[in-house]
Amino acid sequence: MGIADDLASKQKQASISEFFEKNKHFLGFDTLQRSLITAIKEGVDNSLDACEEARILPTIRVEVKKVDSKRDIIEIVIVDNGPGIPRDSIEKVFGQLLFGSRFHAIRQSRGQQGIGITGVVMYNQLTTGGTTNVVSKIASESMAVSMDIGLDTKRNKAKKSNESRVLWNEDEDEQASGLKVTARLKAKYQKGRQSVWQYLRMTSIVNPHADITFIDPDGEVSHWPRVTERLPRKVDSIKPHPRGIELGQLRRMLEITKQPSLSSFLRFEFSGVSTRAAKEMCEVAELAESPKIHLHKRKPSGIKKEEIRSLVEVFQGQKGFIKGYRGSKEKHTYVEGAKKPGMPGEKVSDLMHKTIMSELTGKGIDDAIAYVKNHTDFYWEESIQELEEKILSKVGEGPWDENQTDLVSKYMRREWDPRVTFQEVKLLNPPTDCLSPIEEMLIKKGLSKAIDSRFVSTITRSPNVSHGNPFQIEVGLIFGKGMPADSHVEVLRFANRVPLMYQQGGCLLTKAIEEVSWKQYGLEQPGGKGLPKGPAAVLVHLASTNVQFTSEAKEALADNEVVFEEAKKAMQEMGRNLKKHLAKRKKLEKTREKFELINDILPAIAEKSAGILERPIPDLSKSITSIMSAVIAECDTTWNKETKNTDVEIRIFNYTSRSRAYSILAKWPEKEGATLENNEVGGRKEVTGVWTWKLPTLEPGQQYKITYSLGGLEKGDWTETEIFYRGSGDIIGAMEMDEKLVKQIRDQEKAESEPVVNEENETSQEVEHSEPASPPKEKGQMTLTGGDF
Amino acid sequence: MSRVRSNEQTKEHLHKVVAEMYDKMVKGEAPTMTLPVRTKNNITFDSKLGVYKYGKRKSVRDATSLGSAKQLLRALHVVEFIEDMIDSGKSSTLREMYYISEGWGYGKFGSQNDSNNLAEDLEVITKCMREDFKLRPEEDGSRIIGNLTINELNRRGEWMRINARDDVGDSGYGVPYNVESEKLELLEHDIDFIMAIETGGMFDRLIENGFDEDYRCGLVHLKGQPARSTRRIIKRMSEEWDLPVVVFTDADPWSFRIFASIAFGAIKTAHISEYLATPSATYLGVTSDDILAYDLPSDELSKQDIQALESQKSDPRFTDGWWREQIEMMLEIGKKSEQQSLAKYGLDFVTDTYLPEKLGELGLA
Ligand SMILES: Nc1ncnc2c1ncn2[C@@H]1O[C@H](COP(=O)(O)OP(=O)(O)O)[C@@H](O)[C@H]1O
Ligand SMILES: [Mg+2]
Repeated sequence: MGIADDLASKQKQASISEFFEKNKHFLGFDTLQRSLITAIKEGVDNSLDACEEARILPTIRVEVKKVDSKRDIIEIVIVDNGPGIPRDSIEKVFGQLLFGSRFHAIRQSRGQQGIGITGVVMYNQLTTGGTTNVVSKIASESMAVSMDIGLDTKRNKAKKSNESRVLWNEDEDEQASGLKVTARLKAKYQKGRQSVWQYLRMTSIVNPHADITFIDPDGEVSHWPRVTERLPRKVDSIKPHPRGIELGQLRRMLEITKQPSLSSFLRFEFSGVSTRAAKEMCEVAELAESPKIHLHKRKPSGIKKEEIRSLVEVFQGQKGFIKGYRGSKEKHTYVEGAKKPGMPGEKVSDLMHKTIMSELTGKGIDDAIAYVKNHTDFYWEESIQELEEKILSKVGEGPWDENQTDLVSKYMRREWDPRVTFQEVKLLNPPTDCLSPIEEMLIKKGLSKAIDSRFVSTITRSPNVSHGNPFQIEVGLIFGKGMPADSHVEVLRFANRVPLMYQQGGCLLTKAIEEVSWKQYGLEQPGGKGLPKGPAAVLVHLASTNVQFTSEAKEALADNEVVFEEAKKAMQEMGRNLKKHLAKRKKLEKTREKFELINDILPAIAEKSAGILERPIPDLSKSITSIMSAVIAECDTTWNKETKNTDVEIRIFNYTSRSRAYSILAKWPEKEGATLENNEVGGRKEVTGVWTWKLPTLEPGQQYKITYSLGGLEKGDWTETEIFYRGSGDIIGAMEMDEKLVKQIRDQEKAESEPVVNEENETSQEVEHSEPASPPKEKGQMTLTGGDF
Repeated sequence: MSRVRSNEQTKEHLHKVVAEMYDKMVKGEAPTMTLPVRTKNNITFDSKLGVYKYGKRKSVRDATSLGSAKQLLRALHVVEFIEDMIDSGKSSTLREMYYISEGWGYGKFGSQNDSNNLAEDLEVITKCMREDFKLRPEEDGSRIIGNLTINELNRRGEWMRINARDDVGDSGYGVPYNVESEKLELLEHDIDFIMAIETGGMFDRLIENGFDEDYRCGLVHLKGQPARSTRRIIKRMSEEWDLPVVVFTDADPWSFRIFASIAFGAIKTAHISEYLATPSATYLGVTSDDILAYDLPSDELSKQDIQALESQKSDPRFTDGWWREQIEMMLEIGKKSEQQSLAKYGLDFVTDTYLPEKLGELGLA
């Protein structure tokens, strides 16, 4: 929210253009190269946001043309098929700084990250003196409207000109809608890692539902097609959570609220605040010099400056209660440095006495004090001193015999209560449905369309909360051919689906990648630290209602322990998947070789040797068994163009000299909405997402085939099937079923299917704030194969 | 001296290799090919023959992995190919066989090195020589200069009498790949010893300086690691004419290896050491101590050099005290020198000073 505050206050004093000139570094217009990317970013982000809002699958075209190479004048055109903007709003949207939606609602949106499209109009005007052309077509009107927008920088107002009605497109589809922005800027076009091309490529990865076309100054066309028809989930905006609120913001909210009292204000304008918590907050925030009427009953607009500050301290958990002293609650400010000041306490149990006796007999005063400190969460330094003085004067400094220790114990138990703790006002976690992660399957597709490679692993972690802001981490890894093997992996960073292209090194997300020891997962990492090397690209996406950047440039995410840990965990899980994949690939290669051996080479050896010796060709079945001496599973997962199904075929060969009985289990994307079809062998559901077939006994040399199809998926959704077995002896190409894990998943599913008892009693729902509402599921452990690799 | 087997014997030996595979399959097992281990860990001194031969350790190549199964199939193709050549009275070079294998489907060779190795494997197993297999190397033999006379059967089937001093140009007499008695006869000589020289540069220097005449010797250019025919003709000259052989090489681990292959037998061809090795050959130089004694220009030992020296320490052929010393010393000084570094003291130094000194020690000058 930094920019908003800044702008709001500064706008009054300086003219907008002065302001822009002064602040162009953090508005993203500092260099000629970056200005171009920023301008396109503002436009494309808007197109994607608008389409998402209107539930339209976006088709976006971006053009960059060199108008005047000598003066570095470039024309950009951004066309979308979004809802368009009604004629009367165009002026405001394009001509009024900070008109956008983003400062009003707390939810995940791209717009949060930039100054808005007005910045582009302004930059256009400042650098070329010209206006920006906007053509908008809304579905309810048959013609589009075109106008040129300029700015009256003194009055922060738009000046429109050349307004006319125009045709939106040749086909004259009256239902069509969209927006076209044409601007001319002083800017430089460049290729490479920080280019418009790279920005659009990254954008297309995290927006697999978008169809994006780019025409560069040489007329070269890049096209990233839409790979899914699924629009991102519509997100609800949420009320702010106290943990994420700053002073200025709270002040403004208090000014404009219609709530009659401070407690109802807290209760209804924030998320995570129960009635009781609202009252407690007021109680704790109340100051000695506060007016007679209790804070919670007072009008929000009448809250004094010091009280607001005190309230923020409560929000941040700096002010709270000390609990445990005679079962009471006392409000207090937690002073960080003075950790654990001592508390006088009441009688402590006999058990306490016993341990004190056993630990302190034969010891002295220092040990006693150390003991107290070690067994208390919270104490006052002064009372520790009091206790020390008392023991010293009555018993002496030790070493103590049993009788003396008995006395020491008595004083300790009287003066000190180990149950004393400091407590913040308990808040509930904010809801997390305000987030719109891309989700595993779609990231997979997005990555696959931008980078041609074989292995993709993606992970979407469960939502978590940091400082009252819900957030969610998603990662993806693509590995294999088509990428340079001897350089660092490509890092693709995103915040709320917006590519971050600068300041890679200083970004939290990069640091999380560097923190993981990739060597153990099969990537090179010289020195065991830092960015790994290898033919791979790593994607990290942070979805959050409040993305914190290191600076106003908004290119690197600021350090945050909770987010960092989440990102790291996600990476590690992905690393395990990579390792599994590499091991599997190796095994597959081995199996393939064995099949070549018995199917091609061995018969050739038999035939040739028989020919040379002029003897009959020997029967090979026994030799084959002795060469393979294993049960082998092969599994193909292929997309069927005609049926639009994903066909799976599993073959089990018994190349051992004994008969074998197995159950085969296969993973399938049941949760993702797939259907199991043409499953002629039958079988049964094991747990959600896992199917089991019991095979008839396989005699030596026999084989068995299971085939089925998965419906309801798109191409590329499901490309590899993991299979498991239950039964006697190993199967090459399948993993042994971990029964403990199956049980765990089954128990969890059972628990989930039982209706949640919704207690009215708020206290029972209260959750210690520092923990997420429901602990994030450790996906790495809940998948059938995770954890053990 | 020739040891060529009859065609029927060769076929019989090859069939034994095929039968080993066939019988295993009949028994319901994976086909195998058994051959002596061909590393330095399996060569032992044969005191009767005075050379190093393969020991008793065998390795079994069985068709349980794709790689070895393909080797077996290739061996069968090679056997068939050899039989065809025997039956049709043809021969081919190893390189030709490699190209012919293109048409062998799964039995195709990956590289010519593979096909050379497999031919050698078959030699080792069957105790035949590649001449029995009608396979020729394309490696060129060496050159000889000196007052010695040879009778060679030429392409027209006529015996040609050649004196390696009078009947040859500056490049000397070119040794053919087959130096067995049916192709080459050693007639007469007027020399006192044979000197085998590693590099062409040094060979030419000695000729230019008239060393062969001044010191009454036959000069043989080894061309690096000597071909079989080179080693064989040195052995024949040494035995049939009863001449001492001295070896003059660079001072580095690879030259030590060259000497070992002449005097003791090479690891790769240990199955025929008794036909190729000249146990009486002496290492003349350049020695490790020469580097210091003559203060020769030298290079640092590379990592591979050091590895090779370390490995020679456990090579049974270098167990004798003098060689141990040479190896240890080279490791200690960490340097190697070329033959031609002797030119530091002038072009004639090698013929006027170095070699006479060295040969003097041996009583040859
Ligand atoms: N391409 C577009 N299609 C439809 N509406 C748009 C488009 N671009 C901008 N708008 C509207 O204009 C508003 C202001 O945009 P902007 O100044 O970029 O701020 P923000 O993106 O933060 O909302 C948007 O919130 C949206 O309502
Ligand atoms: Mg915007």
